[in-house]
Amino acid sequence: MATGRDGEEATSFMAMSGYAYERAGGPHPAEPRTTVSERPVRQGAVEPELNIAVMVERDDHGEFLIRELQRQRVTVRHIWPLPSQIPLQYDAIFCALSADLPQRIPWVPGEPSSALILVDDGKAPLNLKLIHNCAAHGLLHYPASSRVIQSVLMLAREHFQYERRLRGRIEKLDENLRTMRVVERAKVLLMRLKNLTEDEAYNFLRKQAMEKRVTIAAVATAVIDSHDLLS
Amino acid sequence: MGKVVRCAERTSAPWRVGVLFSRTGFMSVIEETQLRGTLIAIDEINDRGGVHGRPIEPVIYDPGSDARSYGQYAKRLMVEDGVSTIFGCYTSSSRKAVLPVVERLDGLLWYPTLYEGFEFSPNVIYTGATPNQNSVQLCRALMQQFGTRFFFIGSDYIYPRESNRVMRDLVRSNGGTVVGEQYLRLEADRSEFVPLLREIKRAQPDVIFSTVVGESTTFLYQAYHDLGLNPKTVPIASLTTTEAEIREMGHDVGEGHYTAAAYFQCVENERNSDFVARYHKRYGDDEPTNMCLESSYFQVNVFAKSLEATNSLDTRCLRSWVMGAEFDAPQGCVSINPVWGHADVWTRIGRANRNGQFDIVFQSAASVKSDPYLMGQGRALELC
Repeated sequence: MATGRDGEEATSFMAMSGYAYERAGGPHPAEPRTTVSERPVRQGAVEPELNIAVMVERDDHGEFLIRELQRQRVTVRHIWPLPSQIPLQYDAIFCALSADLPQRIPWVPGEPSSALILVDDGKAPLNLKLIHNCAAHGLLHYPASSRVIQSVLMLAREHFQYERRLRGRIEKLDENLRTMRVVERAKVLLMRLKNLTEDEAYNFLRKQAMEKRVTIAAVATAVIDSHDLLS
Repeated sequence: MGKVVRCAERTSAPWRVGVLFSRTGFMSVIEETQLRGTLIAIDEINDRGGVHGRPIEPVIYDPGSDARSYGQYAKRLMVEDGVSTIFGCYTSSSRKAVLPVVERLDGLLWYPTLYEGFEFSPNVIYTGATPNQNSVQLCRALMQQFGTRFFFIGSDYIYPRESNRVMRDLVRSNGGTVVGEQYLRLEADRSEFVPLLREIKRAQPDVIFSTVVGESTTFLYQAYHDLGLNPKTVPIASLTTTEAEIREMGHDVGEGHYTAAAYFQCVENERNSDFVARYHKRYGDDEPTNMCLESSYFQVNVFAKSLEATNSLDTRCLRSWVMGAEFDAPQGCVSINPVWGHADVWTRIGRANRNGQFDIVFQSAASVKSDPYLMGQGRALELC
């Protein structure tokens, strides 16, 4: 059943941002510190114009991470020591893994504001529970290669945006389920009052919705309300 | 560490579970009773020796009636306290705040409150009524006895607006009209209800359908009473006004008004008389039980029964046992419907009497199958 879908406008982030890196495909300048086997033909590139925060200690590993990201033409902001609340305005965050990191993450798990990549320096014993609790989108382990940094950033962004699209889709589906009944009722009314077939009644609603640039549910509600008012 | 399924732990350490009800703020009257229902059930289970010899230990936070705090405390429970099972929430806004947390970290929220339906989550067990278990019957009874002109009044948040969407559909599909619809903020005070009730009086409805919740419930009924309206001709009908709210507003104020609920204190069966007696013994004879308290109580018991079988708090393990589980609750036999993870509960309609209790005027023959998406109601929601 397509009821209620067509009249809706593609408003949200879902349609906007997801595929940037695919569009930006094509050759990319070769770079140092990659092995010979990595150098030739690389497909795709990191999304352009990303705002990335790097919250790690500025040791050799940290310097390398920052430099590699800068070489990807993204805006990099280094923040250290770790703030008590991680700022919200970044597209992706590389953040040193620490025992109290979950408390420093301002969002609740499941509603992240940024793609989060944990950076594990490998000094503390492996704590899978902690990693679970951070609900992150990727993990980088020192020492990191250029290749790993690019891949983890891309995967984390993809994962983050995919989750967001799914959440958006679920919201839309929920809304459609709730309004389906209104559309059905309006259809029945139109069929009776204007002597239309079911398809014609639906097309009438859809056409109105497109012309008025509102959802099909809104048109259906208006039809029912005005009928109530007149009868 | 990590998400390893361990179905046979040998230890005497307690089973830690989270509990999130507001003891402060405008939702505290009803949520305090939900907290009590939860704790009585836990105590009874522990007095019997716990589950596999291990007591249930509640980790309790008070979100202070603030929806955002529910999300933050749910995170704290799961991340810092290492809890995966949470009992809690009254308002739909608080449930929706906890939802992303339990879904992302794979926890299990037990939600003991009636709500508007149209939701499903693999990480929630819903044990309160949805519209097919209360609104449908209530609408039918009101139309038969009082007439077809309805005035809707609700608190301004998700539940009243969504549940009125269903009720509006029911009323209209059956030849009725909605002559007015008003929402007041959740924290609305006494003075805001008087002009509203005057407006209602002018609109001359046959029934006032209320989804006002929390503290302001008292103000609504008191304003009604003060304006000299008569419940015999224009009653307030509600899905949320329980014995607890009637007690707050005064028995004389509540008298004659209607509520649809799965449970009332006056339900006659042995299980309930035991339950009420134990409750009175613990909290005093003038403390009534109510539907939200009862579902808080029975859901902990369903949890414990399932835990007995799984011997593990792992969400997947536990949830698969909960699906289809039955329990002889104070309201009668209930079960968790495996299709939606919602409880099959009873439908009852009560009229409040002078003693602050309800006289049951309608009761289903058995528990009613949960249908949160109203799939069984047909396209026009006609009452058969």
